[in-house]
Amino acid sequence: MHKLITRILILLSVSFGMLSIIGIQYSFAADGSTPVIKEYKQSVSAEEYEKRYNAVYGKSTEQMAEEGNPADFLLEDGRDLYNKVEGSAGKSCADCHGKNGEKLKGVAATYPKYDPAIKGINTVALQINRCREDNMGAEPLKYESDDQLSLTLYVKSLSNGDPINVRIDGPARPFYEAGEAYYYKRFGQFNFSCALCHVKYAGHMMRANLLSNNRHHADHWPSYRLKWGATGSIQRRFRGCNKNVRQKPEPYQSETYRNLELYLTYQANGLPINVPGFKM
Amino acid sequence: MAKIGRIKIRVPHSITKGEVIPVQVLVTHPMETGQRKDKKTKELIPAYYINGVDVYYGDSLITHCDWTIAVSANPFMTFYVKAEKAAPLKIVYKDIKGGVYEKTVQISPQ
Repeated sequence: MHKLITRILILLSVSFGMLSIIGIQYSFAADGSTPVIKEYKQSVSAEEYEKRYNAVYGKSTEQMAEEGNPADFLLEDGRDLYNKVEGSAGKSCADCHGKNGEKLKGVAATYPKYDPAIKGINTVALQINRCREDNMGAEPLKYESDDQLSLTLYVKSLSNGDPINVRIDGPARPFYEAGEAYYYKRFGQFNFSCALCHVKYAGHMMRANLLSNNRHHADHWPSYRLKWGATGSIQRRFRGCNKNVRQKPEPYQSETYRNLELYLTYQANGLPINVPGFKM
Repeated sequence: MAKIGRIKIRVPHSITKGEVIPVQVLVTHPMETGQRKDKKTKELIPAYYINGVDVYYGDSLITHCDWTIAVSANPFMTFYVKAEKAAPLKIVYKDIKGGVYEKTVQISPQ
């Protein structure tokens, strides 16, 4: 019996030793259940990733986007919706924010950002619905509906070309950290984390797909996606990613997804906003 | 795309007379093949696709395409026209449920 215990102890110490040799830092979550891996190194540099992307996919999607993006129709709808009077207050977006969105130019580049009124992270889509409820007295638009997407597209397109400037200091910091923790946490039946694919193995092939670098993940939404044959928001993409690793997806604009959106948008800081996007 | 049959035509900004110009056309359409199944009900989704495209330059029909189920959703096509006269270019899509969608763009060579 004594022998057995020593054998187990030796085995345990060897396995922990192995972990430290591999160099993965484990820290345990508050409930002690799921280990959170704190850091991976970016496997490939951004330039190297770009090179590999061009070798695998070439310029086909960029060319298709230039030829004609079906999301442009939604953008036109958004412009009409922006000027449409709705709700009990008898106002349209244009009444407060100026004709052709003059006062909204460059605003979307700072989103998502902390909002004291909701004690959390505010996104463009959420802000539109809150504005409709509080100031216009109108019904909030259903997330991922054509109306909601078109209005979000129009508001974001007013900042097209402006560098993304998301702030994570001050009160936004804990939410950024929560988003980061989610990004590095393993979940789902396949036990994947976001970072496993998009940080550790970014630039490598996963069967026929090249795993993408997270630098460019948040600068082009809402986008038209060939796989969907439709336009969708970044949170629809989150849900798709969750389903791929057999994790139960969260509802749109849940706190987790808003924090994650903040984390990802911060990774794209400094890149110009480019909506509507066009993706595979 | 909930709204079907919205058309976007793109022609060059400045055209010289007699030049061969590219015309790029995008139309929103689901282009259901009739062979896909609804994931939840396991029933076939009925076919719904564009099967005829007519292009008129002025009064004359300059091209006609017969499309079948192999064409993608939200189809995009490019064709070339010799800009000989100032006339409207009209594109007419017809789908198998009887829908007709058309759009006109004015071509005015200098």
